[in-house]
Amino acid sequence: MTWELFAVFVGSSLRLAVPLLLAGTGELVSERAGVLNMSIEGMMLTGAFAAAVGAWATGSPVLGLLICVVAVFPVALLQAVLSNTLRANQIVTGIGINILVLGGTTLAYREIFGARSREQIPGLEKWSPPLLGDIPVFGQAVFQQVWLLYAGLAIIALTALVLRYSSIGIVIHAAGAEPRAVDKSGISVTWVRYLGVLFAGFMSALAGAFLSIGDIHTFTEGMTRGAGYLAIAAVIFGKWTLSGTVLACLLFGAATALQFQLPTLGVDVPNALLIMLPYLLALLAVGGLAGRQTAPRALGEPYLRR
Amino acid sequence: MAAVKAPAQTSTEPLLALQGVTKRFGSLLALSDASLDIMPGEVHCILGENGAGKSTLCNLIFGVHVPDQGAMRFEGRSYHPASPADALTSGIAMVHQHFSLVHDMTVVDNVILGQQRGFVNTRAWAQRLERLANDYGFALDPNAKIDDLSVGERQRVEIVKCLIREPRLFLLDEPTAVLLPDEIGALLDICRRVAENGCAVVLVTHKLAEIKKAADRVTVLRGGRVVARSDHPAEEIDALVRAMIQGDLKSLDKSAASMLGVANGGADRAREAVPAETPPQEAVQIDGLTVVDGQGVTRLDNFTLSIGPGEIVGVAGVEGNGQSELAAVISGMAKPSGGHVYLGNVETTDLNPKELTAVGIGVVPEDRHSVGCVLEMSVAENMFLNRLGDFTSFGFLRRRELTQAARALMTRFDVRAASPEVAFSALSGGNQQKAVLAREITLPKLSFLLAAQPTRGLDVGAVAAVYGHIRAACASGAAVLLISSELDELIAVADRIVVLYRGRIMGNCTAEPSERERIGAMMAGHAQ
Amino acid sequence: MTDAAVRASMTKSRRRMLRPSIVISVAAVLAAALVGLVLIFALGVSVSEAIAAFIDGTLGTPYAIAASVNRSIAFALVGIGFVIANRANLVNVGGEGQIAVGGIAATAVALYGHVDGLPAALSFVIPLLAAVLAGMLWGSIAGILKIKAGTNEVISTLLLSFIAVWLLYWCVQSPQLLRKPMTSSATLPESLEIPEAAKLPLLTGDYSFPVHIGLPVTIVIAIVAGIVLVKTVFGLQLRAVGFNPVAAGRAGISYARMVMVSLATAGALGGLAGGFMLLGEQYVLKDGFSSGYGFDGLVAGLLARGSVVGVIAAALLFGFLRSGGINMEMVAGVPTALVMVIQGLIVVTLAGAAFFMGRRA
Repeated sequence: MTWELFAVFVGSSLRLAVPLLLAGTGELVSERAGVLNMSIEGMMLTGAFAAAVGAWATGSPVLGLLICVVAVFPVALLQAVLSNTLRANQIVTGIGINILVLGGTTLAYREIFGARSREQIPGLEKWSPPLLGDIPVFGQAVFQQVWLLYAGLAIIALTALVLRYSSIGIVIHAAGAEPRAVDKSGISVTWVRYLGVLFAGFMSALAGAFLSIGDIHTFTEGMTRGAGYLAIAAVIFGKWTLSGTVLACLLFGAATALQFQLPTLGVDVPNALLIMLPYLLALLAVGGLAGRQTAPRALGEPYLRR
Repeated sequence: MAAVKAPAQTSTEPLLALQGVTKRFGSLLALSDASLDIMPGEVHCILGENGAGKSTLCNLIFGVHVPDQGAMRFEGRSYHPASPADALTSGIAMVHQHFSLVHDMTVVDNVILGQQRGFVNTRAWAQRLERLANDYGFALDPNAKIDDLSVGERQRVEIVKCLIREPRLFLLDEPTAVLLPDEIGALLDICRRVAENGCAVVLVTHKLAEIKKAADRVTVLRGGRVVARSDHPAEEIDALVRAMIQGDLKSLDKSAASMLGVANGGADRAREAVPAETPPQEAVQIDGLTVVDGQGVTRLDNFTLSIGPGEIVGVAGVEGNGQSELAAVISGMAKPSGGHVYLGNVETTDLNPKELTAVGIGVVPEDRHSVGCVLEMSVAENMFLNRLGDFTSFGFLRRRELTQAARALMTRFDVRAASPEVAFSALSGGNQQKAVLAREITLPKLSFLLAAQPTRGLDVGAVAAVYGHIRAACASGAAVLLISSELDELIAVADRIVVLYRGRIMGNCTAEPSERERIGAMMAGHAQ
Repeated sequence: MTDAAVRASMTKSRRRMLRPSIVISVAAVLAAALVGLVLIFALGVSVSEAIAAFIDGTLGTPYAIAASVNRSIAFALVGIGFVIANRANLVNVGGEGQIAVGGIAATAVALYGHVDGLPAALSFVIPLLAAVLAGMLWGSIAGILKIKAGTNEVISTLLLSFIAVWLLYWCVQSPQLLRKPMTSSATLPESLEIPEAAKLPLLTGDYSFPVHIGLPVTIVIAIVAGIVLVKTVFGLQLRAVGFNPVAAGRAGISYARMVMVSLATAGALGGLAGGFMLLGEQYVLKDGFSSGYGFDGLVAGLLARGSVVGVIAAALLFGFLRSGGINMEMVAGVPTALVMVIQGLIVVTLAGAAFFMGRRA
């Protein structure tokens, strides 16, 4: 394999990992606070749809981005209310929301764009960091990416700082591990978890927007194709640490990139198997390594003051 | 020792006043028309046996629950907290029986929780913590992880969490239940110092010895009502006891009296001799049992013990010194890293719970809710959960037979419930424990009974019943291993006592009140 | 947490149990249907036209009714599997994948297992058994992961579902596997049609009302499942493990055994559904044949709130709903995605309503 091809591979891996990184970070914060968001998939799809329609309607991808963040809010709020205030089963609500969003976006898309399934939509610009982009061979292939990637990385770094060094980080950690401690120190567990879910929604919206207006510049029905579940698997694989989650997402991104890379190397593997690879990898990840011991103790259990 | 009075206040206004407070949980009346006053700078004890409503009272003051009726006044103003946040802002802090510490966080982070916003200066907080601990006379490592601390140390973290807020009222719910005999004295000293600094201390307990040592005034609860008060508790102990249990100390079973922390109290019931016709049961031999946990820490170290048929051996020690691991291995819930357990000639070390039951080993687990029963299922189902095969034909359950058998068992063991069909969760703690006991003791050929913390949270009546049944099991020749952190109960009930400290047996002795000090020393880690 | 508070919270939840829950389920369906009607109106479609198309698609012809019933069979099987696993507090979300592998196995054996020469019923029973085994295997993988690694079965069954769907895609795309020989570039990616002998006999023998023998089989399975869950010791043990696996373990009930049996059973039923779909209706393996069936079955299981009778009712409802939806799209131009919206609303409403019933969904 030549260096050029390798550079392309690295660049693709990064690109394909972005939605996972964004959604994964959001889900990590939510799960650390104690809420399991199966609806990440739905929230990503909402973001993808809203960003696409927003960009198409206004002609500006940036406005589309803003619109998608606003659009995901009611979905995330629904999940938050169901999981925390109504104390519903978090898995069932997540799946219900996913079904609802899949139907809703498909319906809306058909209505707006009719039978045409591939409308061209104005997309987000690419950007390349000053010095890194000029590296010979690697520079362009690896670092010339949609600017949302870099913005996303900045948010992830900020999240890491907040989780580790701020009081919010302590509260989030406590809300997932021992919510009674949070309650008894005068902070509302519900409020913290709402925040976690809304953050997950925000990040998922960005992830979805990346898919539609960042990467492919179009919207197709159900275009997230399980990426949300891969993000959840990444959190598990990363043992509920941010660095672990990021690594897992990069790994899944690379696995997805193989789909395009291997044929160029002349390796003849059926396309279906390659598409399957990230899911297989995710399955091995959750099946082999991390497990119940490392999950936040109160994950998935609505809090009730006794 | 005369109670030291706090510096005289200019007014005699109570710091906290409760008037006619009532609280219901569903159909249960936990607290009824309770009125009491807490004066500033005093140590006020709330005395009552388990189930009397003491915890409910504290939770109402701390805002965990809201009263159904009645009013509270704090520092002269109307006080009605909607949540612990309100209580904390008002200047009230509480240490609960079950700690709420984040297990995988450090001490200092646990204290910082809820105290400030923005970015955190951990080092400054750590220094503040150490200074505060020193002021009250104990040591604390701010950077230790909660997982690595002993129960006594964790309690001190809880205390520091409260004191750092400089509260004006400090509530402690049964704090001495988890402490070594020595640590109890240290805790009461801390309470004293806190009171001397002007903060009122409310200490909830069912131990009379603590009343004698620390209380300025006492309020007695029974069945959710205030039944007695005393301004000179050290001199009025007998009256207080009578109010608490509605009877005389001497009328109690010795083991039940021991629950109140009164050695030598209560009547001594002679143990029935083993009838001659009973076939000789097996002896239990535990040999070098060792448990190393996932992190490589040795939780149980070379535990060796033999128990003869008809003998009760007590395992003393504060929780967290290997008792849970010992019980887990014997009951088949965990595999030891080394060592063996024998029942007669049969090795039971690696048997699963089903096989252990078949061999005649009964277990009353320390956590009856998570391990002992399935709360959502009926009483009948729970009482025969490990023997469903007796009621099976071709895979089908003979439900009517099951219900009848349950009814018979419930009568025999005085398990009170509306019917065998109600959910197990509807039973009181005492009745639940009696049901679990019934299930284990009536195993077809019971040779070995393990009872871990069997009287935790039970009232005097239930305690007496539980020990009565345990003695009966002994009488039919079973070997009994009784694990309990209630030293006085062990002395009253057991024949012999071994002491566990950090997973190792520190020593053993006969269960006599005269050995109390020696046992206490062993519990603290001083080998004899 | 005091004993008193625990008791109080639990008696509250036991009191408001099954009776109001049927009401809630029906109410949720009606509410969602209402929203559906509103959406139809909002889409600018004549509501009366849409409803007419819906009814036509569900009850218009005997063929339509039969198609709905056949569809309901698949949903019912997945739903029953869901309910069984849910007794042990396990959530099987992998219905679609289990149907897919069941369909693959049934087709493969029917086409290449030399079954046409077999006596009597074996020519279709053997492929059906293959479907059941395939589904059982798929469900068991999740079971093994749960036992060995504590893997959340929701994630594992979901990921397995994606994998299975792509396996299906591979099978019908690849001539080395199940794709029919490509005679031209326009040859569709699908399998050959299964031989006549492998096709399931119809109840009436009449192709204008093609309900196959899967119906009575499913009814029998439902009855058996209902009896097992309520009347047998196994059912009781399953419940115990679902409520409190630790205490059940201490009482001698093997957690591993319960998990394996329930997930394997759920998978097997899903596989059977796939087998029925291929051998009873479609006869040709196509990409995406299982699409949406998993979730429909799952929602039927949720709606049923643990009752097998409820699953049958919900499955019939969704079977007819789907047929009506397809016709609504063809005739009145209402996208089938509307049906999905209604289903999502039902699930979300039910989940939230559990709060008002004092227990979790």
